[in-house]
Order: sequence, then structure tokens, then C-alpha cells
Amino acid sequence: MDHAGRGPAVRALPGRRGATKERSRASEVAADYAYILPALAVLVFVVGYPIVYTLVLSFYETPPSLPGRFWTGLGNYRTILTSAEFFDVTLNTVYWALPSTILAFALGIPAALALNQGLPGQGLLRGLLLIPWVISTVTAAYVWRWLYHADFGLVNGFLMQLGLISRPILFLDSPTLVIPALIVVNVWKTFPFVMVMTLAGLQTVPRELLEAAAIDGATAVRRFWHVTVPYLRNVLFVTFILLLISNLEHFTIPWLMTGGGPARASQIWSIDIYTIAFRSLQFGLASAYSTIVFAIVLVFAYLYVRALTKEDAVR
Amino acid sequence: MGRISRRQFLVLAGAATGSVLLAACGGEPAATPTPTAQPTPTPQPSGQSTAPSQAQASTPTTTEAVDIDLSRWSPDYVREIAGTIGETDTRAFVSSVVPLETTGNLSYWYIGPAETDPQISKDFDKQFWDAWESTYPGISTDVQRLTYADMLDKIRTAATGNAAPMVATMPILWGVEFAAKGQLAEISPEEFGFKESDFWPGALKSCRWQGKLYGLPTNNESMALIWNKQLFREAGLDPDQPPATWEDLVIYSKQIKDATGKYGYGLVARQNHGNTPFRFMPIVWAYGGGAFDEAEESPTYQSTLINNEGSIAALEIYYNLFVRDQSVPASALTNTNAENTDLFFAGQLGMYIGHPSEFAVMVDRANKATGADKERALQLLDNIGYALLPEGPVRRAVVLGGSNIHIFNERFVRGGKVDRTAARAFIAFRCSPEWSIKAVWASSNPGTLQAFGTSWMQQRLEQVRFLEVTTAMLKYGVPFPVVPESTQIMNIIIPDMIHNALTGKMTVKEAANDAAEKIRALMKQRPS
Repeated sequence: MDHAGRGPAVRALPGRRGATKERSRASEVAADYAYILPALAVLVFVVGYPIVYTLVLSFYETPPSLPGRFWTGLGNYRTILTSAEFFDVTLNTVYWALPSTILAFALGIPAALALNQGLPGQGLLRGLLLIPWVISTVTAAYVWRWLYHADFGLVNGFLMQLGLISRPILFLDSPTLVIPALIVVNVWKTFPFVMVMTLAGLQTVPRELLEAAAIDGATAVRRFWHVTVPYLRNVLFVTFILLLISNLEHFTIPWLMTGGGPARASQIWSIDIYTIAFRSLQFGLASAYSTIVFAIVLVFAYLYVRALTKEDAVR
Repeated sequence: MGRISRRQFLVLAGAATGSVLLAACGGEPAATPTPTAQPTPTPQPSGQSTAPSQAQASTPTTTEAVDIDLSRWSPDYVREIAGTIGETDTRAFVSSVVPLETTGNLSYWYIGPAETDPQISKDFDKQFWDAWESTYPGISTDVQRLTYADMLDKIRTAATGNAAPMVATMPILWGVEFAAKGQLAEISPEEFGFKESDFWPGALKSCRWQGKLYGLPTNNESMALIWNKQLFREAGLDPDQPPATWEDLVIYSKQIKDATGKYGYGLVARQNHGNTPFRFMPIVWAYGGGAFDEAEESPTYQSTLINNEGSIAALEIYYNLFVRDQSVPASALTNTNAENTDLFFAGQLGMYIGHPSEFAVMVDRANKATGADKERALQLLDNIGYALLPEGPVRRAVVLGGSNIHIFNERFVRGGKVDRTAARAFIAFRCSPEWSIKAVWASSNPGTLQAFGTSWMQQRLEQVRFLEVTTAMLKYGVPFPVVPESTQIMNIIIPDMIHNALTGKMTVKEAANDAAEKIRALMKQRPS
């Protein structure tokens, strides 16, 4: 963007001096590209190549019973998009990802607001609230699996000891309860991310504006809505999109806690793709599935990039 | 503002994370704790001490020394034949296959003992490699020891990228996928000094694809029914009479639940997990069902039997246990067998299906317990029984597990070359009676039938309690269908069917029909 901006000004310079300067600028630009070339090459190799390969593979059938692959055109896409199971899994994915994201915000924003108030011991509090985020997802999944366990679980044991229930609640073994139970784990794990991002945003809100609004008689709620939120809007949007994308692609928590069950009630996109590829050995079909999911996620990624570039433009 | 420095924050966060991690580790069941039940007078490999010329002169060089009558196979017969041929001479045997002076190169992958495995398994693994090196010092061997969880993805990727090892030992269900893709080399038992009759017929079946042999069994295993005699007593059942049929098992399970409030039977139905089909398919076969006709003498795998009367009856057994009687753990749909072991050890479960090694695991736990817990654990150990799996109206059956050893096709091997002579020497050595038994001492059974007659088998029977029962179940072993689609059928379609029926998403019949439809659709995808 910078170079494009400098371009016309250089061209406007007349004579030999101008031409020399233009050459010097051009070599500067070339040097810039040379600097990023190694990173770009690595990116093309480790990201671009798998994407292109997946796309190519998605047009082939790769039966587990035969070596090689067979051209099937859009056959794999047709198979997926006409299967009722894909739509069930998509519903599960949306049911998992959207409430997970919204609830992480519902917890993360108040936590950030509280931490921004300068409470005594807030550093310690911030550290404590960050713990779920820094714990490995695998560890968290196993800990929660045991907390929820119908026969050994602490949650059921505690509720039964209090006399609130007479039979264990089947958090992970009931098709209706399993996704809400998994969402709780995911929200617990990801709300600190929202908290940190929001806290960073809150620290950019000019204190004078808040003070001026207070002097003008604005209540705390009005100050929040009319001064703080406009400043946070971009941060919140970017965080929301990032978290949503991450939840749409999430694998670890449902896989380790339920394996996609019971009765596929917690089967989400990533688990479905994994099972088609590595349990059914239908890599072509899994590639087509991945491409479809990639296209959907790309929409959100586009919104994310647009929000970022808009932010840059504002600056 | 009560700020803390970055260092302080790291210390605090580290401490807190550490405590949570510790809690997590403590909360999980030990997957395979080290059994201490076995006294460990680790026998020395004979290959290390015997000179080849002496060995050749004094011992037979074939594996025909023992005549095993499979029709008499039972716990008593297993004890009867153990020790009848003493120790075999491995050097003599392998030297008749490939001369000991042979030089060459070999790359080999296998699932080696994990950190949590009993020390005796690690000791034998080390002895195996020492013995191999001293037997064939001229063959340079590049070995990769992998875990069960890692190996399949790794070897698939390697084979796809033409970087497979020359030889690999893989679980019984995996080989057919590689054979179907042309990645394995065809072999004959004779080139390794064996005959087909040296192996379990069912195990050899798992090495065949389209009539050709692509591997040899290294070890075979089967499971048995484990029961808590004390809970049987408390429920008014005869503590020495385990259920003879699957229907009896349903009745016993309900009686235990009703009388004691504890769970009767350890049903396992986690989705996408191998434990699920390993415990369900024996019932299906017992009632005359199957994914295909894999339980028959000469299966054709042409049409699915998953919705025939037998398979539906088997699914009804699960339905009655879980939905009607609620006599199995409430967490059955997400449980693996590890949870059953915990429940059983805690005295909360009457019966479950398990390996012989589970007793050793419980002994180890009892040794580690203290105070009242120890007393309770020791009491439990005195009250454990192992029995053959119950029968159905058609047969008694169990999944034939284990591993096979394969040679990869040159085209898929790193460097594009297989040193077939080195591979032959290694496979002969690995499948020899001595190493087919020592390499799986605490965990499985030898793939070579002759090994059951050795004195090493006798030692195992003394060390591993109830081994004769699980070994006797080999006779009833049925391998999973030897088709490349087997992993999908067993890991996805079968568990889905169980979940559909047990969660009320479908009726038992609908769930079976749905599974049949999925299997048919899957098989239709196979290009002609």
C-alpha cells in the first residue's frame, strides 16, 4: 500500500534525476519482496501445497480397496451435499460453534470490564482467569470428561450428595445433553481469550472521553454503550470472527470427550472429516468435505480480513 | 493497583497449571499399570548361548515337533500340551532358512512395549533384539518402535509416500488394507521354514486377500468373561457358575443390579473405538449374525448379515441390558474398557470381558493400595473368576485378535528395494516358537502353534493366572471380515448401529437395517 502511494509522486519527477530515483525506488521494492520471499516460499509449501492437493484430491475417488485414485469429477461433492448426514453434522457444528462463541463473549466481556476497573489484586485475578486458556486442551478435555462421568463424575457425585438428584445425569451419554455439556467446557476454555482481547481494547479507550461523558451526566451504562463500545467494536468483531472460525474447526474437545457420540449427536465437521479420512480411508471424499468446510470458513475469514484492513484504513 | 510482575505471573500460572495437571493425571485411570503379579525369572534366549553347529546337530530344524489337535482345544488341553517339547533351538531353526553368515540390510517397524507395560515385556523386547543381532550379526537392522495409536497413520503415510519399511508387524485388522492397495508382497510360509498348519487357521485367514497370502501371524489373542464371585453371592447367584449363554448373562446382570444396586455387566459402546466391536461382535456371531459371513468356515464377504435375525437378537441383548433393565453402567455409551476395569476393581461391576493381563493389572493395583482399600482389593482378587465367553444359539465366539508380520512391496519401500533374504531371516526368527512366545509373554499368545508345546508356555501358565481360559478361547476366534472396508464397518457403522438402538433414535430393527444399508452402500463404492 505504501509503495503504491509513493508510485505516482516518483513518476511526477521530471528528468534524469527523477528516473534515477524511480530506479532506486524500484530496487527498494524488489528488495522488500526479496525479504519476504523466504517466508512466502515456506507458506506456499506448507499451506498452499496441501490446499491445492486437497482440492485436486477432492475430484477423485480413493477407495480403500484399491491402489491409486479414480476421477469422479464433482461426484464427491454431490455425495456430501446430498447426504442427510452432512446436514445433521452441519446443524451439530452450528449448535456447537455459535453458542460457544456467544457465551465466551458473555463471560469474557464482563471479566474484562471488571479487570479494567483497577480492583485490588487484579494482576493475580487476571492470572487465575487465564488458567483455563493456558491449560492444554487435551488435559482439559480429560479432566472434564471425568468431572462429567455418569459413574465416577464429581459433578454427579456432588449433586447426589446434596440430594438434588437421585440418578446420575447423563451429561455425555445423552444425545440431548451432550452438546450443551461440551459447550460449557469450550466456553470455560475460551472465555479468557475474549477477556484478554477485550481488555486490550478497553485500554485504548481515551480516559478523557469517559470523564467528559461522566461530567456531562452520562450513566455508566450509557458511557459503556456510547463511548466504550464504539471503540471496542472492531476488536470485538475481529475476536468474534476468530473465535467462531476456531470453534467451527474445533476437534479436540468433542473427539476426546465423546468421539462424536452418542448416536452422532456430537459429530461435528472436523470429526466427520477425520473419520471419513482415517477411519473410512476415503481420502477423496474427506478432501471434498474439507473443501466445502474451507469455503464456508473462508467467508468468515474474509470478514475478518476486511475488518482488519478497515481498521488499518481508519488508522 | 495490585500489579504483579511477569515473572510472578509465570510462577503463579505455572503453579496453578501444574496443580490442575496433577489433578488431571490423578483423576484418570491408569491405562495399563505395570503388573507385578509375575515373578520375573526372565528366561535367557537360547540363541545367545548355543553355537549354531551344536544346535543344528542336536535339535530338529523344522516346527513339526508337536502334533497339536485343535479339536481338543480347551483350558485343560492347553495345560496338557504345555512343556511337552521343552525348549526349541532358534538358531538351528533359522539357520535352516537363511544361513547365519548372511549379510544385508533390513528396516522394521512394530508396536513395541510402552512405558506403562510390565517390565517383563521390556526385558523380553531387549533380549529379542540382542538375540537377533547375535544370531545374524551381518544383517544391519533399522528398527522403529511405535505405539498403537501412532503406527497406523504413520505407516499409511509412509507407504503412500514410498517410504514404508521392508518389514512390519501390524495388528490383525490392518494388513488387508495394504494388501488391497498392492503395497504388501505375496509370501508363502515355506520360505520362512513354516507350513500353513503351523498357524491358527483363523489367523492365517486374516493374512489373505483375494486368495493370496500377505503375512504370517506373530501372535493371537482372545478374551474371556471375568466375574466377581462376591457380587454373585450377594445377588443370590452361584459364585462358581458364570453365565453359560448370553441370555443367562442378561438375567444375571439384572439380578445383580436389582439385588445389590451395583452394575451387572460392563457394556462398552463408545463410538469410534475398537473396544466396542471387540465386545459386541462375539454376541452377533453367537446368534448367527455378522457384518458378513466372516464367522463361517470359508467366508465370501458377499452380502451383509448385520440385519439378519441373529444380529437383531444380539442387538436386543444390548438393548435389554442398557434400556430395559438398566443393569449396565450409565456411562456405557462413552465408556471404553478402561472404565470397566475401574468399576470392577472398585467392586461396582459384576462381569465384563477382558484379557488375561487384566488380572495382573488388578494385582498390581492391590499391591499399591493401602489400609482398608488394600484389604478390599485383596478380597476382590480372591473372588475373581475367568470363564469362556457365553454361548449363543449358533456358536460360542470371540474376536481373534493379534498381529501379523508383512513384507512391503519394493515399490513402496524407502529406496525402492527390499532385501528379501534379510526379511526372510527376520520373519523366521520372529515367528520361531521361542520368540513368538517370549515377545508377547504377558500380553498375548504365540502365533506359531508349536510354541504352545514349549516349556516357556508352561512357565507362562504358572505366571499368568487364568491364561489357560483366554488361551482356550482361541478355538472360538473369528477374525473381523478380511476386507479393506472392515475398519469403517467395525469402528463406525457397528457403533453407530448400537447407539441408534440404545438412544432410542431408532428401533432395534431400524438400526440394524440402517447399518445394513450403510454396509451395502460402502461395498458398492468398491470399483469393479
